[in-house]
Amino acid sequence: MEEIKGMNIATGRHWSLLFSGALVLLTVFAVICLPVAAPAAQDCRFCHDEPLYRVDFNHSIHAGNGCTSCHVGITDIEKHRDGKEKPAPVNCGSCHEKIAKEYLNNFHYIQEDFRCSDCHRNIHAIRKDGNKNVKLAIIEKCTECHGNADYTTSGHGEAVLKGNQDAAACSDCHGLHDTQVFHTSLEQYPAEARDFYTQKCKRCHADSAMMKRNNLSDKMVAYYEGTYHGKVQELGYPAPVAGCGDCHTRHNILPKEDPRSSIHPDNLEDNCGRCHTGFHARFLSYQAHPDYTDRAKYPALYVTFLFMGGLLIGTLAFFWVHTILWWRKVYWEHDRMEREGIVPPSAVATGEGLEQIERFSVKYRIMHVLLVLSFFTLVLTGFPLKYAGTEWAQAITRLWGGSHMSGLFHRGAAFILIVGMAYVSFESFRFLFPRGEGRKGWLSRLLGPDSLFPNLKDLQDFKAMIRWFFNKGEPPKFDRWTYWEKFDFLAVFWGMFAIGGSGILLWKPEWSSYLVPGWVMNIAALVHSEEALLAALFIFTIHFFNTHFIPNKFPMDRLIFTGTYRLEELKEQRPLEYERLVAEGRLESMKREHPSIPLKLISATFGLGSLLLGMFLTVAILWSILFG
Amino acid sequence: MTRKDRKPGITGSMRWIIFAAALVLLFALAACAKPQEPAPPWKVIDAPTLRAMMASDKGLLVFNTMSEIECLDHRIPGSKCLACEEIENDVTVLPADKDQVMVFYCESEGCYRSCRGAGTAVKAGYKQVHVLDRGMPAWKQAGYAMESIERIPRGSIQSVRATALKQMIAERKDILLVDVRSEKSYKEGHIEGTVNLPLYRLSRSYAEIPLDRTLVLIDDRGFRTFLAGSYLEMKGYRVMRLFGGMEAWQEMQAKKQ
Repeated sequence: MEEIKGMNIATGRHWSLLFSGALVLLTVFAVICLPVAAPAAQDCRFCHDEPLYRVDFNHSIHAGNGCTSCHVGITDIEKHRDGKEKPAPVNCGSCHEKIAKEYLNNFHYIQEDFRCSDCHRNIHAIRKDGNKNVKLAIIEKCTECHGNADYTTSGHGEAVLKGNQDAAACSDCHGLHDTQVFHTSLEQYPAEARDFYTQKCKRCHADSAMMKRNNLSDKMVAYYEGTYHGKVQELGYPAPVAGCGDCHTRHNILPKEDPRSSIHPDNLEDNCGRCHTGFHARFLSYQAHPDYTDRAKYPALYVTFLFMGGLLIGTLAFFWVHTILWWRKVYWEHDRMEREGIVPPSAVATGEGLEQIERFSVKYRIMHVLLVLSFFTLVLTGFPLKYAGTEWAQAITRLWGGSHMSGLFHRGAAFILIVGMAYVSFESFRFLFPRGEGRKGWLSRLLGPDSLFPNLKDLQDFKAMIRWFFNKGEPPKFDRWTYWEKFDFLAVFWGMFAIGGSGILLWKPEWSSYLVPGWVMNIAALVHSEEALLAALFIFTIHFFNTHFIPNKFPMDRLIFTGTYRLEELKEQRPLEYERLVAEGRLESMKREHPSIPLKLISATFGLGSLLLGMFLTVAILWSILFG
Repeated sequence: MTRKDRKPGITGSMRWIIFAAALVLLFALAACAKPQEPAPPWKVIDAPTLRAMMASDKGLLVFNTMSEIECLDHRIPGSKCLACEEIENDVTVLPADKDQVMVFYCESEGCYRSCRGAGTAVKAGYKQVHVLDRGMPAWKQAGYAMESIERIPRGSIQSVRATALKQMIAERKDILLVDVRSEKSYKEGHIEGTVNLPLYRLSRSYAEIPLDRTLVLIDDRGFRTFLAGSYLEMKGYRVMRLFGGMEAWQEMQAKKQ
């Protein structure tokens, strides 16, 4: 027994030796190897034994990760236990790269140094929950701090709380990990903020399916983009105009029936008054995004829309047909003459036929140059606004130096044009009622050959022209003014009445509200825009063709700039005037010197430049209408 | 009628056309040029430059000019906390060597505080003064790391708008308005009934504030009260903050008039 005992003891000693040897080996192994092998989760939980880490973490979405996946930097658990080694700050971005990148620009990070866990506080127990109302959770999280009354009473917020998943939660407008702030005290405000939030509103409110689901119109965005506010906003160089939030406010967005709403009739004066000052109460009937085609709701706008559309299509269709027929006739005629070797007398004029006859005096030539310049300035500043969404519009506005500068040039050019028209009206008046003669004979002057007023001969000339177009007769013999020239002249008068009148109303809408109610501004805007389209297309496609591109004048007739043409051309184009000048003995006094080379060069450059610019704008406008 | 009698229409019309063209040119040149701002007396550097300077020059002194609370919460690694008020109060807190290379930065893109610090240093004769362009926001946006010495747990600090605060002041007796702006700003104008406890020395003097009332913190623009509030909440206070700071308050007052 003793032996056995001794043996047992011996064996026991042997075992304990072996055991301690193994322990030493293990320790050596541990010392060598542990620095590279991170401690396992159970090692951490040996000390960090709260239920949060032992239980909740195992059910959390991050359960697949070990403690050291996030808490990196612990090389020696002993040292860590002794407080000598601390883990590095958790970098969620090592897995959530995309979010981390977005977060670099997050206001909460930049200004308040929020880290992930400041919002995701319960990070160790976050579970994946497919049924979670994310929008609600976001609102709850944001309102922990942003609890001002206006956040929670908003129309969108209320809808989300009632379970509407389409309604905007905080993050839908402000972003989640890329939250931007346009604080009133930061310089970015308000231009960038307005643009930023208006885009956010548009994203949902132009979504047809979503708007339909919620019984809202998906056209509101398009209607807004059709107004001055919307167009300047869309142009991308915003002068201060109302974006969505300027009228609907930032958070308390409610339907207009709600007395708390900023667009409730009782609150409109304050609402519009934030930007507009010095207006009459009538101003408030302006419609911020009306539907022109809604006959029941906006009858006056609807009628105006139809009238302007009809006028546009009617006028263009009539003159386009006229121009095409005319061009056809002249081209075919040219071809015939070319084949038969016939040259028009004006081309081979000799002697007196070469003499230059004045058609436009210096005064009228300068007036035309001013008209051209102001017209192009108006088109180049106005049409970018009309087609605000297009690239060319934005490029042109950039050249002007932004919407604000563009608007100043528009008004400057309008002023020149209005002064010019006032002067022409005065001259027309003096033509009818010359000093000294009074009213005597005004009717015969009005309907006489020197007048630009249409008369019976114009109707006959028109009929003769049509017959000539169809090879049914000789072309009419014109006097000083042809019927299309008279139309050009009178169209500017009508245009000035329509565009100028509406333009003056829109110049300073607050003052206009003392004359007319706000809804008239809607009509004025429509008239201004449509009539401008008519005027531009008329000038670029009809006036240009009739006067310059017609085959016997192509590419341009410099007459309006040099002021004179050959006697032979006068005979050919305006035989009745020639006869009159001869009969009245005035022909000699109309003779001028041949235009100088500089004048001809300047005329050609300015004229061709204008024609090319007009053609470019025509293409741009038609492209925008057809494909914009 | 001889040729001589004819009107000299061409030269006349030329003059007119040139006149009209000049008019249009003048019109086009109407856009005015912006006057240039004078260059600051310190050198402005961007975030990558600062990082490179810190890596190469171990003796470089980088000063965070925010309050101690804010600076210890988060700062550019290796920088020192020195609020600009401390520099203004006693410029000898800066090293004696006037050729010492120094960089000042703060937390606003406008660099208001770093410029105040740098301005004081330049005035005191320091020759190598730099300011970090766009401050910590630029550093963070460049993706560079920050360092936290004593991080304050972010609280749920509710903010009140100026109009609501005005009503609160009239109705509630249990609130205490604490203006955390500098003594100078406070003297220039403050909301009636506020006590002044500048943020730069809040960590030393917060204990002066009684614990029995809800505090409403007021700063310049509303950016700094959140962290100050979180700090005080950590110390056991109930805290709210004025949304938009004194600027919002003054705006409201101006609107009323």
